[in-house]
Amino acid sequence: MVQFVVDVLMRASDLVLIAVGMSAIYSLMKFPNIAVAQYAASGAFIALVLQKGGIPIVVAAIIAVLCVGIAAVALNELLFNRMLKISSSTAMIGSLAVSMLASAVFLLAIGPNPTRFSLPITRPFRVLGARMTENQLTSLSITTAAILCFALLLFRTDLGRCMRATATNRLLAEATGIDTRRTRNAVVLISGMLAALGGICLTLKGEINIQTGLDLLLPVFSAAILGGLGNPLGAAAGAIVIALAETLITGINFGPAFGRELLFMPAAYATAGSFVLLVVTLIWRPRGLFVSEVKRV
Amino acid sequence: MPENLLHIADVSKLFGENQVLRGIDIKVTAGEVVGLLGPNGCGKSTLLNVISGFSRASAGSVIFAGEDITSTAVDRIARKGLVRTFQLPSMPRRMTVAEVLQAGKAEGLGFRSLFARSRFDARDVERLLGELALDHVRDLSAGSLSGGQKKLLSIALALRTNPRLICLDEPTAGVHPSLRQHMVQLLRKVNAQGVTLLIIEHDMHFIRELCDRCVVLDRGKVIADCSPAELTLNSGVVEAYLGGARDKRAYA
Amino acid sequence: MFDFLIHVTILACLYSLVALSLNLQSGFGGLMNFGQIALFGCGTYGAGIAYKYDLGFASGIVIAAGFAVCVGWAFAAIGRNLQEDYWGMATLALAEVIRIIVNNEGWFTGGAQGISAVSPLFPSLAGRMQQVAILWSCVAFLAVAYFLCRWLTDGRYGLGLKVSREEPQLALSLGYDVAALRRECMILSGLVAASAGFVFAHYISFVAPEQLVSSETFLIWAMVIIGGIGNHRGAIVGAFLLQFIFSFIPFFKDLVGLPTEFVAAARLAMIGGGLIAFMLWRQSGLVPERIGGTKLA
Repeated sequence: MVQFVVDVLMRASDLVLIAVGMSAIYSLMKFPNIAVAQYAASGAFIALVLQKGGIPIVVAAIIAVLCVGIAAVALNELLFNRMLKISSSTAMIGSLAVSMLASAVFLLAIGPNPTRFSLPITRPFRVLGARMTENQLTSLSITTAAILCFALLLFRTDLGRCMRATATNRLLAEATGIDTRRTRNAVVLISGMLAALGGICLTLKGEINIQTGLDLLLPVFSAAILGGLGNPLGAAAGAIVIALAETLITGINFGPAFGRELLFMPAAYATAGSFVLLVVTLIWRPRGLFVSEVKRV
Repeated sequence: MPENLLHIADVSKLFGENQVLRGIDIKVTAGEVVGLLGPNGCGKSTLLNVISGFSRASAGSVIFAGEDITSTAVDRIARKGLVRTFQLPSMPRRMTVAEVLQAGKAEGLGFRSLFARSRFDARDVERLLGELALDHVRDLSAGSLSGGQKKLLSIALALRTNPRLICLDEPTAGVHPSLRQHMVQLLRKVNAQGVTLLIIEHDMHFIRELCDRCVVLDRGKVIADCSPAELTLNSGVVEAYLGGARDKRAYA
Repeated sequence: MFDFLIHVTILACLYSLVALSLNLQSGFGGLMNFGQIALFGCGTYGAGIAYKYDLGFASGIVIAAGFAVCVGWAFAAIGRNLQEDYWGMATLALAEVIRIIVNNEGWFTGGAQGISAVSPLFPSLAGRMQQVAILWSCVAFLAVAYFLCRWLTDGRYGLGLKVSREEPQLALSLGYDVAALRRECMILSGLVAASAGFVFAHYISFVAPEQLVSSETFLIWAMVIIGGIGNHRGAIVGAFLLQFIFSFIPFFKDLVGLPTEFVAAARLAMIGGGLIAFMLWRQSGLVPERIGGTKLA
């Protein structure tokens, strides 16, 4: 049972930072930004390359996170804003194109094989009967700390207030004197950084390859939708729900129902399950689990 | 006694806790021209949305030609002969004005229409373009028209569907005064051919020239149902629009 | 070299069919379908399953059509109340679910290995004669599909689609059953895409889930956007252009002596870069949509 909880937490922490980033960007930009998943992968890859170049992992991580944040702002200003003026679908296709360019760069820079951080291999230990490695624990701690910081930022600082105001009603926010452009850039910067950190934490636990970003896209999007796009902390809850669904689907023994001793769903169906959950959510509860009114998305 | 074409039976509408319409009861007989008036925020547009199917009544029912259309879908209501125009019409950018008018007739569309040798009603389209003074813009993108021209186009579109009842949402707002007379004549002609009209308007000249009857709403309730001439004599109407007897002296 | 050119042209014809189908959906129906490859897959697996269970060529056509109608109907049903970009994500998710199921249910679909040695076209001919026969059939097929699309969209039906695409509220208020129109559009174009898949399966004699990855959908999107959305000729132009360029990338790579990853990376970069360039600077594509082209009888 404790192992189950640990598994769910681990999978949720894979998704949560990226989902929060995606949700926060959406709250201001109003289009689903496919490139956010690649922001996460980029963060990890940049940190990896820096570490291979001899820089200590913590410094590498910080540099990578900042680079991706700045790149996200640049992409936003130069590309997505202009495309958004045409339509949100144009911006979405644009983000898809950016995602593909990122894949091309990864392919050339990193190559098709999976890579990992060069960290000392530690033996897994037991916490209340569940197996965990030191890296997993570190990753989980960083993720939790980041979420808490973000929550503090959102609800206890001026910037957070400006972010929430601009997300709710941009014109009104401008009318009250908020510099929406600066706020928007701040949100994009923070979201990019969160996503990059998410990618690094994911890689800490295991490995990463050039496909990882794309594999994360739909689960992350599902988490963001479940929590209500534009509700960043809802995305955190959404991530837990998705992780729960995935772990349950492959974890439940269906054997007894079919008169067999052991019958499990194949592992690939875990992700399929979260995709089905996405489709179901979009049809029945497009504004997320936490809003009582069902409205057109 | 002529049959009621449209009966709005005790309709109420709530948005959350906000009651926008309260027990509205209006009967419209076939061939009438009814004006729907009232100060801003009184619920006129909401009522129009409820009638045309864009919104569903919280209570009460809407009966059109004997059929209950309270929970019928917008397109089915339109095919039954009840169409509406919009206050701020939005027109397709990637179609010309003439094409949009062509598309006005949805009747008989569907897979079968591909096989039927469907003749475009070119004559009908040309006539409408002329009547609404839109022929000089017939080949321009419909989305690029001015607000007033879009208004005229939306009326033309409503006429294309051969309706029994047209609900017009502020048809003269944003339209050049010289064209308003045009519109009055067109709507009179349409009405003479048997089309019933329900018009939301603020322009009193327009109302007086066209309407047989006026229904006045205020804060979701019907406060008057009389001929245009009798409106100014109704103290309730005056109060709703001008805010009370005290202020009336200022306008005397 | 000549054989290679024949091969590339055959593929270009088949891609053109899929692009025509997507253009019908997005350019005329206003449907942003990111699961297009699943419709193609209905065709390939229709052929594959008919072969696997020895049902014959004709049954393959019926099965493929059946799959296409079901998937097309499902896509349309999801989209009833969803805005464009969310519907795109939903169709992407659904297509991925289909791919995962196909990949795992090996007892039915052959699993990851797929179905091989599917019966070839024109078995009575051999070598170059067979290739040429296939080529001319594909060209004829494409011509038929093109005129079919023109017939569909040049008349009242096309105008109805356009109004429903651009102003669905207006279309509804005029009596258009927008949901039904979209459903019909989806199913018809799904049949076109599936027919391309059917021919493809019999041409390369191999059917596998790796042909159904989402990046293939994105490639078709690039073809449609670069060629010119809302324009049947544009879809064909885009398909031929990209297919030919992509086929010659390996030659270029050998000429200049670049690593193997270059091929895949170049394709990704071209799709991504092409999409961005055209969306920013030439939104109408290479062959712009003619406004006002409908003749009034």
